[in-house]
Formats: sequence, structure tokens, C-alpha cells
Amino acid sequence: MLVNCGHRINPELRELVVEASLALARLDAERLEELALACRALNRDFAGMGGDGRGELRRQAHDASREMDIFGRVLNATRANLEVMNRVRERRRGGLEYPAWRSTGWAPWPLTEKCDGND
Amino acid sequence: MGTISSAFSLISGALDADQSALSVVSNNVANANTPGYTQEMPNWRENNPVSINGIQYGTGVSQTGATSVRDRILAERLNQQQQSAAASGTRLSALNAIQTLFTPDSGSTGSGAGDIGSDITGFFNSFSALEANPTNDALRQQVLSTATTLAGDISNAANMVNSQRAALDQEAAGVVAQVNALTAAIAQLNGQIQSTSPDKDAGVLEDQRQQDLSKLSQLIGINQITTENNGLSITTTSGQTLVSENSDSPMTTGLVNGVTHFFVGTVDITSDLSAGGGSLGGYLTARDQDIPQVLNSLDELAYGIATAVNTQNNAGTNLNGVGGTGVNPANPSLDIFNAPAAVAGSAVAMSVVMTDPNNIAAAGPAAGSGDNSNAVAMAGLGDSGIVNGGSPSNFFSNFVTMLGATVAQVQTENTAQNASVTQLQNQNNALSAVNLNDEAVAMQQLERSYQAASQVFAILNTIMASALNMGVQTAVS
Repeated sequence: MLVNCGHRINPELRELVVEASLALARLDAERLEELALACRALNRDFAGMGGDGRGELRRQAHDASREMDIFGRVLNATRANLEVMNRVRERRRGGLEYPAWRSTGWAPWPLTEKCDGND
Repeated sequence: MGTISSAFSLISGALDADQSALSVVSNNVANANTPGYTQEMPNWRENNPVSINGIQYGTGVSQTGATSVRDRILAERLNQQQQSAAASGTRLSALNAIQTLFTPDSGSTGSGAGDIGSDITGFFNSFSALEANPTNDALRQQVLSTATTLAGDISNAANMVNSQRAALDQEAAGVVAQVNALTAAIAQLNGQIQSTSPDKDAGVLEDQRQQDLSKLSQLIGINQITTENNGLSITTTSGQTLVSENSDSPMTTGLVNGVTHFFVGTVDITSDLSAGGGSLGGYLTARDQDIPQVLNSLDELAYGIATAVNTQNNAGTNLNGVGGTGVNPANPSLDIFNAPAAVAGSAVAMSVVMTDPNNIAAAGPAAGSGDNSNAVAMAGLGDSGIVNGGSPSNFFSNFVTMLGATVAQVQTENTAQNASVTQLQNQNNALSAVNLNDEAVAMQQLERSYQAASQVFAILNTIMASALNMGVQTAVS
């Protein structure tokens, strides 16, 4: 759990970013959702932080900048992967819904006479 | 057709189809642990309807075989990511080995490359020491000693980097045999698959081809083109054909200017492979881009120091009262270092040619042996822009910093690419391999993960940007 103990942010931002990258790589949605909640709490804590705390945050932000770059790239790759998977899913849906008609041109329930009950 | 017999046919057909489907399921379970096996799904076909008294009735379904659950869009995306990850991983290994050479006090290489920075300082400081007592023999010996150390470490470093380049060259050449074996296997599988399709799914054959494509993607960058009857053509990323359905075009190698080049037929595809990806792309990028940059920096350093120091020493007067060629062109040379003819090759060739310490021209032109004005000028070279406009120490420091930045950048790329490959493999396993996870569950997991990660990224990015840029505003509104 992320705790702002006075001026000390525990754990360091760098560790947080690394964990988020790893969780995203293995698609650990549960852990990512926990991290998202923790980040919101962290953000609220920082809003009321004093000058020393901000200085400490600046140091941690600097230390974590490279890991943040990696996280951004993994996120971009995930977006591309998601697009690919959506294309795969759409194609499969199309294939599942209309297979026989598309392949044979034959409709499963051809109406050869009026079926409205009026004949 | 009579009604009862039609109904019986319908029921028995459904039972047969169920039985066939059970066989497919049992085949999936039996192969659950077979690497690369793709789950098969039964194909259902609606039977032709029968007409009774002018009304058509359906006659059930038949099972017409099994189709493997694979998706080429996903497989191609996975292959592309593997190509990128393999290239950056291979390049990273090569860069790490070079960076280790230039790490101070690494103590592991014996090249002394990590000591070049302190060598430079030590060499120019030896002139500062000579300023105080320009006729002192021990101080003159110290100048030659530090010069020898500096030249030796630069030369050794260049030789070590050249050795690494030669090793990369050999490893790159070794990839060709693996590539050719895989393209030949894929061509053969293409022929078998094409003779099987389109009547039925080629199942295991397609699994084998997909595995070979995956292996090939880790070696070189490729493009895939699906051809008639489920065949496949494979080209390099620049379009050079490696496999055309059931025939393959093997790669060959040959030496061009001392390094291995790669050919298909008579076409040199080396630069295409370098940019293409896979481990071969990584080897070639390190061999043809990264290492030449390192060598060029060492050459510039050696050329700058040797040329400036020689010129300055020849502008002074030695302990015997003789001026150098800068004073009188007819005089013997007072070069300290082997004079480089050109920048290229200066590092490897760097050495100390001066053997007599009395030839160090501490005195200015036509000055007495007690003068130190030229020694002062020599010491001042250490802070002058004699290497590509920068001082020797700054130039070397910048070079090491740039090398470290390049390593960090490739490390970042590689980490992200590996993460992407991990994701895709998880998705591919859920979709294609034999397990009980549903495709929808896998998709939901991917979407949830992406959305949650986007939130994490957005909040952290804002916090960090605020902290770094302004240092005050931190909360995300």
C-alpha cells in the first residue's frame, strides 16, 4: 500500500511504475486496478504536501523517468495488441453469425409459401 | 423421401456429428501439452433440406472435419513483435559488452579502456609537473610513461572493440544456416498444406509451419503473404523473396571489405537485414552502426590528442637546445606519438614513438633549456578544444555518456517489446492453444488491464510532470 509517511513516499515512485509495467505485461488486471486506486490516493495526498515533500517527489520523479518511458511504451504496445485482438474478435463474430449463408448462399429457413397465417 | 425415414436420418446424423465432435475434443485433450498444438473446433454443416408436399424441412447437421482455432492476424502481430524484441535484445547484449569495456575499474577486460579518462588527466598533468622543473629527467620520463599508458589503453580499447565486431560478424554469419533450414522446412510444409487445403484444415501441418515462422521471426525480419490454397510466401522486410510457396531461396554469405555480407542470389540484402529485425538485425545493427560509432569516437580522440601534442612539441625546443619541425622544418621530428595520417585507424595505431625523454620540448622556440613555456602550452592542451572542438576529457566523457544513453534506450525498447510479446503470447495461448479459458475472458482481461493501466499512467504522468517541471502543482484535477 502506498503511504505518504511525512515526507517519505513508500514505496518509491520508481518501484510503483516498474510494478505497473510488469502487471501490464502479464495482463494482471486486478493488480492494475489496485494500483490505479493507489495512484488516486497518492494524488490526493500530494495535493496537500508541503515544500519538503514536493522536493522529495521531484527526486523520485526524476529517478522514475526512465521506467515511466518503458511503461508508456508497454502501454502503446498494449493498445496496438488490443486493436489486433479486436480485429480478430470482429472477424470471428462475423464468421460465427453467418457461416452457412455466406459459404453456400443457402438460407436455413427458406419461405417457399406465405407463412402469415392468411392463406 | 418418407417422413419417418427422414426424421430417423436427421436424428442419426446429429448423433454421428456429436460423436465426431467428441473425437475432436478428445484429440485436443490428448495434445494439451504438445508445444505449438492448436486447438481444433469441429466444423458443422447444415444438411440440404428435404421437400415434403412442397414444404422444405431441415435435415440436421453433419460434422465435416475440424478446423484449428488459429488466427493469422494475431500470429503475424506476434511474429512482428518477436522480430523487434529479438533485434533489440541482441543489440543490447552487444552494447552491454562494449559498455563494460569502458566502465572504470571494471577490472575484467584488461583493455584499460575504462581508464582512458584518468589516463588523459594523468598525461596532461605530467606536463604541469614538468613546468616546475623542466630539466628534471624523472619528470620527463613520467611524461613518456603516461603517454605510453594513454596510447596503450586507447589502442587496446580499439582492438577489443574490433574483436567484438569480428565476433558479431561470425555470429551473424552463423544465423544463415538456421534461416535456410527454416525456409526450406516452410517451403516443404507449404507444399503439403496446399495439397491438403482448401478441402480441410491442415491442422498439425499449419501448427508446424507457424512454429517455424515464429523461429524464423526471431532470426530475421520477414513479411508473410498468403497465397492460393493456404500457401505462403515469405520475403525479407524489403521484399526479397525467401520462400515462394513450395520453393525456397537460400541465403548465402560472402566477404565484402572484410565483413560478412548476405545475399539472396546475387542481391546483397545486408542493409535490408540490418533494418529488418530478428537477432540477425540486432547483430548487424551492432556490427555496422554501433561499433563503427564507438571506433570513430576512439579514432577522433586518438587523432586529436596525437596531432595536437606532436604539433605543440615540435613547436618547442628540446633539452639539447634543438627545435622541432615547427621551428625549423629541416630539423628532426620531435613527435611523441605515432603521427596519424588520417582519423580512421588512429586509435588502433596509437603508440609512443619517442624514446629519448630529452626530446620533450619543454622550452619555447629558441629558448634556453630552463624555459618552461612550451611545457605550459602542452599542459594547456588538456583544456583546449583539440578533439572535435572539445577538450580530450570532455570528449571522452561525452562519448561514455552517449554510449550509456544508447544502452539505456535500447534497454527501454527491449523491455517494452518483451512485455508486448508476453501479452500476445498470453492472448494467443488463450485463443489458440488447448485450455479451458474462453476467448471472451481473455479479451476482457486485456481490455481491463489496458484501461486500468491507462489510468495509472495518466495519474503518474501528471504527478511526475508537475513535480519535474513546476515542482508545485501535483494533484490531477
